[in-house]
Amino acid sequence: MHVIVATDGSKQSLAAARHLKSFADPTKITEVSVIAVIRPLAAVSFADELSTVDQRKAHTDAGSFRAAAENAVDVVAAEFDGWGPKVHRKVRGGSPANEIIKAAKQLSAGLVVVAAGGRGISDVVLVGSTAQRVQHYAPCPVLVVRPAPRRTTSKAGRS
Amino acid sequence: MAEGTTYATPYDEPGHENDLKRSITGRLLFFYTLGDVLGSGIYVLIGAVAGAVGGAFWIAFGVGVAIAVITAMAYAELVTKYPQAAGAALYVNKAFGNKFLTFLITVCFLSSSFAAAGALSSGFASYFLEVWEFAPALVISLVFVLILTIINFIGITESVVINMLMTFAEVSGLIIVTIIAIWYVAEGNADFGTLTDFSNAEGHPILAIISGVALAFFAMTGFENTANVAEETIDPQRSFPRALIGGIATAGVIYVVVAIAAALTVDTETLAGSEASLLEVIKADIIPVPVDAMVILFAIIAMIAITNTTLVAVVTQPRILYGMAKEDVVPGVFSKIHSSRRSPWFGLIFSGLVVAALLTIGSQIDLAAGETLIDRLATVTVVFLLFIYALVIVSCLKLRGHDEAEGNYRASTPLLVVGLVGNLVLLGYVVYDDPSSLYWCAGLVALGVVLFLVEYLFGKRTRPASAERGDPEVGRGA
Repeated sequence: MHVIVATDGSKQSLAAARHLKSFADPTKITEVSVIAVIRPLAAVSFADELSTVDQRKAHTDAGSFRAAAENAVDVVAAEFDGWGPKVHRKVRGGSPANEIIKAAKQLSAGLVVVAAGGRGISDVVLVGSTAQRVQHYAPCPVLVVRPAPRRTTSKAGRS
Repeated sequence: MAEGTTYATPYDEPGHENDLKRSITGRLLFFYTLGDVLGSGIYVLIGAVAGAVGGAFWIAFGVGVAIAVITAMAYAELVTKYPQAAGAALYVNKAFGNKFLTFLITVCFLSSSFAAAGALSSGFASYFLEVWEFAPALVISLVFVLILTIINFIGITESVVINMLMTFAEVSGLIIVTIIAIWYVAEGNADFGTLTDFSNAEGHPILAIISGVALAFFAMTGFENTANVAEETIDPQRSFPRALIGGIATAGVIYVVVAIAAALTVDTETLAGSEASLLEVIKADIIPVPVDAMVILFAIIAMIAITNTTLVAVVTQPRILYGMAKEDVVPGVFSKIHSSRRSPWFGLIFSGLVVAALLTIGSQIDLAAGETLIDRLATVTVVFLLFIYALVIVSCLKLRGHDEAEGNYRASTPLLVVGLVGNLVLLGYVVYDDPSSLYWCAGLVALGVVLFLVEYLFGKRTRPASAERGDPEVGRGA
């Protein structure tokens, strides 16, 4: 089975990747694709909140959102190092939900893993978040990892 | 222009398996540029330009667009060399390596964006009031800024389809104006003598043209924001120069045609006296369509056009602040991202407040006779942008021989020199003609300096250890 793990550079997306690892059987998974989507017309096209200053490929791809996305993908992909399945890293551009769904179709994915986003008022009031759209339109099962209570979330992000 | 550029190019990079899909095609980039440029000017300040020159004001638009096209060539050359999202600040940093100058350019760019958003919001209010007169202009422009900030937070601006539809709407408004003029000419009513009329000029016609260009130049701005999407453009070497230069040249042709159309159908005094000048062409009631319906339709189109351009400005401001926060030149709170919307919420709120402050202050103080808040903020934008454009052209010339690769676009050197002189002459004229605009400029730059001092005195280090403070190369990636 090919599993897609999406990251938006948030700590929750890293927590989602760890959640998959915590219960899934690596012998049943053949490949993992870690995907980040850059939103070119957004105010901030990609915000990497995962990599530490030392992990960043500073100056190799200077001043770019693409470098930010690659750094975040590297951090999430590193979670699966030595786990078993072959790990792919992918960066795409466009609308996150569309690109994740497209990738799931192209790769004939058996599972998509996404983080559910924040827990603020805006998620209650405003519909249309990436996780919701992926759930609705993905061609395969979707694992939506809800944010854990605050203490656990921040611990996961820091370690 | 943008034809034949919509295919994807495979992109190789070790460790990332040829799967770095870029999403902006040449055609989308062309419409992005065109929409961004078109909304910024002709709907808002055609009357002011007519007032400065006379019936021959179309020449001012022609000269203005020529200078803008040359400046766009310098941008195109630099973007193909350094296809990152950082824009002018990155180029100036590459060329001069001077942290203060880089900071100054970044602050100027941010300030120009604030002033432009202010001018556009006032312009929006003028058209709005033509249709529904139920609130003071200030209230409407403030609500407009608020709504755009919310839209930006949610992220609707990210739809390239909406962007394209808005551009089509903008062009359609200008086509309506042109059709009216053609009808008028066909009926034999047009007096072509007005096209060489300099009756409003105070002094020599050349001076009148320069003052007209200085005003019209606001209409040419906006293309510099195209650098925002440089990184995500498919085959930028080929498509970027075409889309950028093609986009602004197309906008220029439309401007000149519309200026001629307006001059032929409405007398200059009426144009100059109106806050929503292009509506006067509709109100002249030339074509056999009910004028009331046309006025509402046209006002809505004008509002869409202005909204499109303002949205790009509203997206650009928090983006610049985000980059600056990553470089440790403004407080780190500007790099805070909302957890699910992935928007820089603090930068958005701050930018909205600055634009609202500009509008409020501008409406409270007495402006010079005959000057509106739109003219004032447009002038401030133009002062900043002319300074930036001149420096970008110098950077382009200075970076010749560096980082050149096969297939890079290369602008003509004599043209760049002409463009540089054009930008400097206009800058000199604007400052000489309206020195009080410098107070506004100084105020906006001072705001940037205050943010820097707050970060310098109280901020924490977030940039990589290898990078100096204010290095734009860490701005987005890190």
